[in-house]
Amino acid sequence: MIRPLRHVPQLNRRQVMQLAAAGVLGPSASGWIEALAADTAAHPHRRKSCILLWMSGGPSQTDTFDPKPGHANSGPFKPIETTVPGMLLGPHLPRLARQAKDIAIIRSMSSKEGDHGRATYYLRTGYLPQGPVRHPTLGSLVANEFDDESAELPGFVSISPVRAINAAAFSSGFLGPKCAPLNVGERNLAGGADAGSSSLRVEDLEIPRGIGRPRADERLELMLTLGNDFLTNRPGVPSFSHQSAYRRAVKMMRSSAAKAFDLDEETAAVQDAYGRNPFGQGCLLARRLVERGVPFVEVTLSSADGSMALGWDTHAQNFDTVAKLSAVLDAGWATLLTDLRSRGLLESTLIVWMGEFGRTPKINESAGRDHFPNAWSTVLAGGGIRGGQTIGNTGADGEQIKDRPVLVPDLLATVIKGLGIDPSKQNTVDNGRPIRLVDPKANAIKELLG
Amino acid sequence: MRLVSPWIAVLMMVAAARAEGTADVRGARSDPVKSGGDARTLTARVDAVLAARWAEAKIRPAPVAADGEFLRRVSLDLIGKIPTAAETRDFLDDPSKDKRVALVERLLDSPAYTACATEIWRRLLLPEADTEDLARQVAGNFEAWLRSKVIEEAGYDRIVREILAVKLNARNTDLTAGRLDASPAAYYVAKERKPENLAAGVARVFLGIRLECAQCHNHPFARWKREQFWSLAAFFAEVPAEGPENVGIARPERNGAPRRELTIPGTKKVVTASHLDGSTPAWRPRADTREILAEWVTAPDNPYFARAVVNRVWARFFGVGLIEPADDLDGEAGSELSGLLDELAGQFRAHRYNLKFLIRVLTATEAYNLSSVAHQAESATSMFASMPVRGLSPRQLFDSLTQATGAEPGDARARFLELFASREDRPVEAETTIIQALTMMNGSYIDGATNPETSQVLGAIVKAPFLDTPGRIATLYLATLTRRPRPDELTFLVPFVERRKTALDQQKALADIFWAILNGPEFHLNH
Repeated sequence: MIRPLRHVPQLNRRQVMQLAAAGVLGPSASGWIEALAADTAAHPHRRKSCILLWMSGGPSQTDTFDPKPGHANSGPFKPIETTVPGMLLGPHLPRLARQAKDIAIIRSMSSKEGDHGRATYYLRTGYLPQGPVRHPTLGSLVANEFDDESAELPGFVSISPVRAINAAAFSSGFLGPKCAPLNVGERNLAGGADAGSSSLRVEDLEIPRGIGRPRADERLELMLTLGNDFLTNRPGVPSFSHQSAYRRAVKMMRSSAAKAFDLDEETAAVQDAYGRNPFGQGCLLARRLVERGVPFVEVTLSSADGSMALGWDTHAQNFDTVAKLSAVLDAGWATLLTDLRSRGLLESTLIVWMGEFGRTPKINESAGRDHFPNAWSTVLAGGGIRGGQTIGNTGADGEQIKDRPVLVPDLLATVIKGLGIDPSKQNTVDNGRPIRLVDPKANAIKELLG
Repeated sequence: MRLVSPWIAVLMMVAAARAEGTADVRGARSDPVKSGGDARTLTARVDAVLAARWAEAKIRPAPVAADGEFLRRVSLDLIGKIPTAAETRDFLDDPSKDKRVALVERLLDSPAYTACATEIWRRLLLPEADTEDLARQVAGNFEAWLRSKVIEEAGYDRIVREILAVKLNARNTDLTAGRLDASPAAYYVAKERKPENLAAGVARVFLGIRLECAQCHNHPFARWKREQFWSLAAFFAEVPAEGPENVGIARPERNGAPRRELTIPGTKKVVTASHLDGSTPAWRPRADTREILAEWVTAPDNPYFARAVVNRVWARFFGVGLIEPADDLDGEAGSELSGLLDELAGQFRAHRYNLKFLIRVLTATEAYNLSSVAHQAESATSMFASMPVRGLSPRQLFDSLTQATGAEPGDARARFLELFASREDRPVEAETTIIQALTMMNGSYIDGATNPETSQVLGAIVKAPFLDTPGRIATLYLATLTRRPRPDELTFLVPFVERRKTALDQQKALADIFWAILNGPEFHLNH
């Protein structure tokens, strides 16, 4: 196996040219601000967007999207009927049940990864961790494909991520800082209740009082002028990432699109409908971002109040916890569907619901369920996906896939294709090696795509 | 013990003979004169090996770093922050030839070094604390214990033995009890006390071996087999478990004998604790199971132990290790830099695993003294022919900001540390985020720090009656970028200030220069 003795990433010539074209480099520093103004004039071309609802910890499928009526594995929960004949859901998802025609449940997900860290990486990048290669997370892949220089907002926004489980699974990897997510509402969970704000606002968007706009512009120009020499003489990821972050930050500061983060523009009734919790408010923010053309938004549901890292990891007290989480999920997601539909955005917004694996259908001695990558569920909705159907089945007890196994790359290929992107496209890692968006052996689920 | 080559075997035997055994010696302070001479010899050796590589690859190394560059770099690396304007001026104007070596000695002796070294060790030994929730909660207790080791100048081998052999009890492991004792026991808590986590961590950090994959299956290409992984994990079978899903199910005690066996999960196979190289553990009646492991890990003839730590310390100063990745040293044996690593490891062992010795060696090398200016040959940094640009840790950035501005940290410190916490563990790939940029540009801390009315340093500079405009600008540069402004910078900046009519407007212009420097890449990076 060829392994580089060291791996210090350099930008290749193509990337340097791209950055030069984007105005990050240049012999003359002036005109940066004017160039920004010209950029924001054009309107982003409408294409599909994706909202990923990430369930941190491995959500139980038996209690949500693949219930087992009449079987002991159901435990105390009795499944409910939906508006699709024959499709049952867990009892704590009544509002989603009424919109069952718009969701497609894949019940035959199958993987071998039962470790949180590895499985999170696998689901979020489509690849298993492989030596030094840093695979980009799905949001970065999509943001890269839908890259728009004129956009005011970043192409990938991640709401309330819990990155501690596997930081690399939340990163833009070899695609670099341009596709890195804007993280909002990230909490320092180690610090306890008063660590950091769970607010979804982006702080410090306004120039400080006492500094007028002309002076702010002037010192920004000065910063670029003074830093130009350093950037030219010391190219590389840290330098370019620094300039890129500042440039995108200034763009956000000057955009009207940044008002998307101001949730108080919505009525109290709407905020209530989504749910006054980090996930519900995150779904509302996701809708507002998608309205403004952001191609990829992910919202993490790690626990009902946002205070835990792996809320769905219910090795004990499964039923109480799942009930609480499902209530939050139901309100947020069902309202999101309704809202998108009423604004004419549902056809062009693909929603993906998934966690890193499922949970054992058999209940353990602590009234809990353990990790179960063998047979579990994910859900797709909107974006032109053919809803109201289930793919695959796990029989009466849920212990095994009886029909139509779906591998993780197959799911991601379906999502990518559903967004109108060719999954066999390639990205180039910095040492020149090409990596396809999705593993080449993957098969998109034809039954779901229009 | 599998040896890399006969040459290495001889080196190790010599080193083992020189090392005064593995018995605990109070501290590892060695005779300064002798160790100084040894350090210089070893530095020369590193220079020779690298120079030969450069010649072979026909690469000319980058120019020697300017004094200011070196001063800034080594200050950040050894005491975690930039020097003051006065210290910078003194160093730049000092004519003595050995000032860089003298500087390193001064820094190693300073109180700030202790805090920085504690962080260096903590990041080496408990890397999960940067990214994982549970580990972060106990990092403080671990650091408190580590700090006392740094003050004693305890050798690295002693530190590792203490970690491996520590007796676990409620006071040093029970998180629900409130405060934990300062103790290496936090290591076990961070790994959730699971034998498989401990085995993977011990192999990865202490031995530079990536063993995790062998946990679940035998990979056809991997060196390590599943049974070997679990035989190592079995040393931790007697660690009291916490949660209900402890994967490695320990066999129940028989006649009060210590647990040294595990059932490999998902199978019925029981393995007994045994060493990775296949040798039988030298059980002794009064020695704990983990004490025996500690002896094997830190034994002079264990070829992985010293190499793993030296490689990581090298990476700490050079951005990447002699061998990459640092936790997978297996594959690169036999390459020329692998030989260099062996030499460094042997000498480190011979000097009782003393970190200061190693620091003296590395900071005096030609390679560490090179500029980070980009080289025309793309592979230059991969051969240490130029220094890579690295990101700053949150503490380095904030402490440097505090010092450069004289602004009281207050509440801002915690927010900064959280905001700039890098989830990326490779400094050469450090990324700045939009949120960080917004906080630096518009946040209240920087706003106060760049206002002459509220910033000590800036206020003093703009109001000092004995300074002219070039003098004020030069002082700003010395305080922040550890250098004097270049002529072309002065040509631009002096008119930038002096074209303003009122004194107040000139002060604002200087404040804007200060702001622009503090927000720029040169301040934010280690180069």
